[in-house]
Amino acid sequence: MQTLRAPLAALALAAALAAPGAGCVSVPVEGKQPLLATHVKDWRDEVIYQVLVDRFANGDVNNDYRVRPGYLARYQGGDWKGMREHLSYFKDLGVTTLWISPVVKNVETDADVDSYHGYWAQDLTEVNPHFGDLAELRALVAAAHTQGLKVVLDIVTNHMGQVFFYDMNLNGNPDIYIGGTGKTSKVERVSEFDPDWDPRGVQAATSLGEAGRAPIYFIQSPEINRVPPKPGILGTALGYHGFGRILNYDDEKQRLLGDFPGGLKDVATEVPEVRATLIDAYARWVESVDFDGFRIDTVKHVEYDFWKVFSTGLRQRLAAQNKKNFLLFGEAFDGNDQLLGSYTQKGMLDSVFYFSQHFQVFRDVFQNAKLAGKQQAGTDKIQALWESRKTNWSAEPQDLGVGVPPAKLPVNFIDNHDVARFLFEAVGDKDALRNALSYLMTVEGIPCIYYGTEQDFAGGNDPANREVLWDTGFSTRGDTFRHIAKLARLRAKHAALRRGDTTVRYATPHVGAEDDAGILAFERAGSDAGASYALVVLNTNAKKASTTADGAKPMAVGAKPGTVLVDVLDPASGPATVTVDPQGAVRVTVQPQRAVILVPQDQAK
Amino acid sequence: MNATRGSSPRLYTAALLLGAVVPSVARADEAADPAKTPPATATPPATATPPPRAADAASTPTGRFEVGSYGRVHIASDLRGGTGRKANVVAHGTRIDEDDYAELELRREDTFRGEVKSRVVATLALFGPFFHFTGKVPDQLAVRNLYAQGTYKGVSVWAGARMYRGDDIYLLNWWPLDNQNTIGGGAFGTLTDSGERDGPPRYETVLAVHVGQQRLDNPFQFQKTPVVAPSNGFGTVDVVKLDRPRMVETLKLTQHIRDGRGGFKAALYGEAHQLAAGVYRDTLTNQDRGLPDDQGFLFGSQLTYYTGERDTYASLWLRHARGLAAYDPLAVPQTFANDRTTSGTTETTIAFATNFERESFGVLGAAYLRFFRDGSGSVLSPQKYDEGTAVVRPQLYFHEHFGLAAEASYQARRLGVLDKAADAPVTASVIRGAVIPYFSLTGKGSFKRPQIYAIYALASRDAGARSLYAAEDVFSTRKLEHYAGLGAEWWFNSSSYP
Repeated sequence: MQTLRAPLAALALAAALAAPGAGCVSVPVEGKQPLLATHVKDWRDEVIYQVLVDRFANGDVNNDYRVRPGYLARYQGGDWKGMREHLSYFKDLGVTTLWISPVVKNVETDADVDSYHGYWAQDLTEVNPHFGDLAELRALVAAAHTQGLKVVLDIVTNHMGQVFFYDMNLNGNPDIYIGGTGKTSKVERVSEFDPDWDPRGVQAATSLGEAGRAPIYFIQSPEINRVPPKPGILGTALGYHGFGRILNYDDEKQRLLGDFPGGLKDVATEVPEVRATLIDAYARWVESVDFDGFRIDTVKHVEYDFWKVFSTGLRQRLAAQNKKNFLLFGEAFDGNDQLLGSYTQKGMLDSVFYFSQHFQVFRDVFQNAKLAGKQQAGTDKIQALWESRKTNWSAEPQDLGVGVPPAKLPVNFIDNHDVARFLFEAVGDKDALRNALSYLMTVEGIPCIYYGTEQDFAGGNDPANREVLWDTGFSTRGDTFRHIAKLARLRAKHAALRRGDTTVRYATPHVGAEDDAGILAFERAGSDAGASYALVVLNTNAKKASTTADGAKPMAVGAKPGTVLVDVLDPASGPATVTVDPQGAVRVTVQPQRAVILVPQDQAK
Repeated sequence: MNATRGSSPRLYTAALLLGAVVPSVARADEAADPAKTPPATATPPATATPPPRAADAASTPTGRFEVGSYGRVHIASDLRGGTGRKANVVAHGTRIDEDDYAELELRREDTFRGEVKSRVVATLALFGPFFHFTGKVPDQLAVRNLYAQGTYKGVSVWAGARMYRGDDIYLLNWWPLDNQNTIGGGAFGTLTDSGERDGPPRYETVLAVHVGQQRLDNPFQFQKTPVVAPSNGFGTVDVVKLDRPRMVETLKLTQHIRDGRGGFKAALYGEAHQLAAGVYRDTLTNQDRGLPDDQGFLFGSQLTYYTGERDTYASLWLRHARGLAAYDPLAVPQTFANDRTTSGTTETTIAFATNFERESFGVLGAAYLRFFRDGSGSVLSPQKYDEGTAVVRPQLYFHEHFGLAAEASYQARRLGVLDKAADAPVTASVIRGAVIPYFSLTGKGSFKRPQIYAIYALASRDAGARSLYAAEDVFSTRKLEHYAGLGAEWWFNSSSYP
C-alpha cells in the first residue's frame, strides 16, 4: 500500500480539480476594465431608452437588500444583471441607447424613502451595491456594446445626498423641532437636515438671538450609509454652499446656491478643487466602464461657468483616450426654451432635455386632445417652438463634442421619471400616446423613451410613475410596443427621419371643426440624409379626420411634382399613396390622432 | 480528533474546571490501546469505540457514570495594549486563532444481561469568552450531546442530539469529511470482518447510517409572527409562520485493514439534504413570500494510513457537495440562485493531514484546497472563492513533559470580489509563524493533553487580506500582526473525542 500512496494522492488531486466548480475564481473579460472606444457614429441615429435600474429587471436576488416589493418609494430589486439578461427586449423594441440610473453609492434612506433612484450620492467612487458590483456593470455595458447598444450614465454634479446637518441650535444633534402655537404665533417646523434658504447662509440661533453661520456636521449613520461623502473635498464643509433649501426657483441665487429640496446638499461647484474632483470622479467612470455619454441632472442649479469647465475638461480627457462623440446632455426642468438653450452655448453641453417641448407639445397638443376642460393647443405652437430653438440653442457643434449642433440635437421625450406618465395625464388616451410616439420618433433630435411607455404604464407623479417592469413579463406583443418598434425600424431605415433637416409644411392654430384642425406636417430631408426624404403628417385632432389644406389650396412640399409618396407607417390612417401635383403640392387627409410617414415610392421598399 | 487524545487525561482537570471533586472513573485501559483506536483516525462512534467483548459479558447488570471533557482557554496580548486578534482569512485557518471553548460530558454506561449495552450521553458546551474575561454571566451554553445508544449483537442504534463526526484535522480544528450536528438517530455496525476473536479483526467493514434534523432559529427556516388572538381575545398570539427543518441523511462505509499495530482505513461517505417549501412573512412589508423547497447532496472519501506507533499517520480526504449540502447545516446560505434555492452551488475540497513522531521529534502537518461556488449566477460574488491553507508544526521534546513547537503556515483566499487596482479577483493571503513552548502533563506527543502553553504568533498580512476589513478597522492597514499569550488545552474520556 505504501507504493500506492503517491498515485492515489495524485489521482485524488486530479479528481478534485476536475470536479465542477473547481476552476480558479477569475474575472471574466467582460468584467475587466475595458479598452475605451467610440461606439457612436452620429447621435441623431440613436433612440434612447431611459431605465430606472431598480425597476427594470431583477437578475440577482442577492443584492435585494431592503427591498420592499410593491412599495414604490422603496427598493424593488432591479439590477444591472437583470438588464443584461434582457438586452433582446431593447433590441426588439428598437431602441439603441440605454440611459441608466446613477451608479454611485447612495445614502440608503431619508425621511422614510429609499434611494432606489440613485440620486442621493454619498460616494462617487463606488457602485451602488443594490445594482451589482463593478464587474457586473462592466459586463452590462460590454454586452450592450456587443449587441450594438450604447449606454449613457446618469450623473449629478449639483448636489450630494442627505449627508450633513446644520447645527442651528448648536447642540450637536440633528434636530427637527416645531415652534409656535399657530394661534398667537405662527407654527414653524424647522429641520436641521433641510432648513429654509437664508441668503447669509443657514444661521444658528439661541433664545437670545442669532449666533452666526450654523456649523455643518457630517452624519455618522453607517446603518443607512449616511456617512461623510467621498471623494476628497466633498467630505468637507468646504465642498458645499450651506445656504439651505431653495424656496424660490426664480431667484437665481437660490437656484444656484440652495440645497435641492429634500436636503440634498448643494455642492460648491465654483470651487476649483470641487470642479477638479467632479471631473475626475466622473471621467473615471467612463474610463472604468466605457460609457457613451452622460445625462446630467439638475443643470440649471449649477453656474454656467462650471459647465464650460466640466464639459471641456471631460471631453479633452476622454478624447485623449480614443473616446469621442461622448454625449453630454443635461436636464433643466423648465419650460423656458431660452433657459434650456443657454446650457448648449459654446463650450457647454451637446444637448438638453427638451422640456419646453414636453410642456408645449406633448402636454398642450397631444395630451389635451380629448381631455374635458383642457384647451388643446394648435400645431402652430409647435412650429413656433421649433423656430425659437434655432436662436435659443447653439447652432454650432461643441469642440470635441458630438459633431452636431445642439439646435439640431434636442433630446425629445414624452415623459420621464420626474413627471407623471403621459397616459396618467391623458387619462388613458392611448390614441394620444400613439400619436405622440409617432411625433417623438420622427422629429429632429434624439428620441428618448421612458421605460414602461411601451407597456402602457400610466403611473402618476413620483414614485407612482416608477413601476416595476418585470410584472409585465417583458411582453413584446402589445400595440404600443409594436408601434414603437415599427417607428424605430422606419427611423433606422430612412436616414431622412434621423438626419434630415426639418421644414414645416403645415401647422395650424385650428383645433376645432376646421378642415385642417390639428394638422402638423413637416419634411425631413437634406443635411446628412442624402437623397432620403420623408414627409410626416400628424393629425392631433381627436374628433375628426383632417387634411393638409384650409380651403382650396393644398400643401406645398419639397418633393418634385409627380413624385409618388407612400405611407410606410400606417396605410389605414390615410392615403396609401399620394402623388405630388404639378404645382408641387399634396392634399393629405389623416384620421384623428393618427399619423402618416410618406416617403418616395422607390425608398419605401 | 486523534484517537489517542483521550488516553491519559484524568478527572482532576475536569474537577478543576468544575470547581468540584468528581470521582475518577475514567477507563484509561480502553482508550489507550492503539490497536483498538487507531491514531489520527478518530472514526465515527461505531469504530472508535468497538463494543467491549468478553470482559463485559457478565450476566449481571453493570454500570458506571463517566465524566469527560474537552476544553481550550487562552489569553493573549497584541503587545499594543489590546487583546490578541485572529488573522485567519480562510474558512479553516490555523488552530492558534480558535476561540475559547469547553465541553463537559456526563455519561452513563450499562450492560444488561451481558448482551445489551447502553450509553446515555449529555454534553454541555461553553463558548467563550468566559466570565472571568468579560464579567458577564451567563456565558454562552449549548447542549452538544444528549442521546441514548444501545448495542445488541454488534449493532448499535442511537437517537437524540449528537455531534456525529469522523476524523478531524487538528491543526485546522476541522472535520473535512463528515461533521453532523443534528437531532436524529442512526445505526452502525460491522458488516463483515475477518473473524479473529483475539483482537480487532484484520479486515473489517463498518456501515453507519444516520438521519437527522435541524431547524435553525433563523427566518430561513423558522419564523414566528404575532397575529390577532383567537376567540375574540385581546392582544396577539404568536403563530409559527415558517417551519422547515433541514433533513440530513448520511451513510458511511468504512474499511479497516489492520496489520499488527498499523493499518489502513478507507471510507466512502455520502449525505443528502432536503428543505421543504415554506412561507415567510417579510418583516419590512408584512407580506407573505413563498420559499421554494431545496436539496443537495455530498459525497466524499478518506484514506488513512497509520503506523500504530506514537500517533504517526497520514490522511487524505476528498469531498464534493452540491446545492444545499454545500452549506454547513449550522449555517444559513448567504447567497442564492434567482429562484431563491441553492441550486448551482458547489463545493469541492481536498485535504491532507499527517503526524509523525520519533524519539524527541515530532511534526504535525495539514493542508487543504477548497473551491466554493455559489449559485448566484452573477459575474462575481464574494461567495465564489478558492482557498487553502498549508501548516506545519514541528516540535522538539526536551523532556517527557516539556517541549517546544514552532508553527509555520500559509493561507490564501481568492474571492469573487473585484480588486479595482489589479483588475483581478481579490486575493488575500497571510503568512503566519508561531512559537509554542509547552508543558505536557501526560507526556510527550502531538496529541498528549492536557497541555499548558505559551505562544508568540506573528502574521504577515498582504493587501488583499487587509482589504477584507472595513476602512475604519485597524486590520485594514496593519501589515504585521502579532500576539503573545498563555493557554491550556485538554481532552479526556469524551465520547466526542474518543
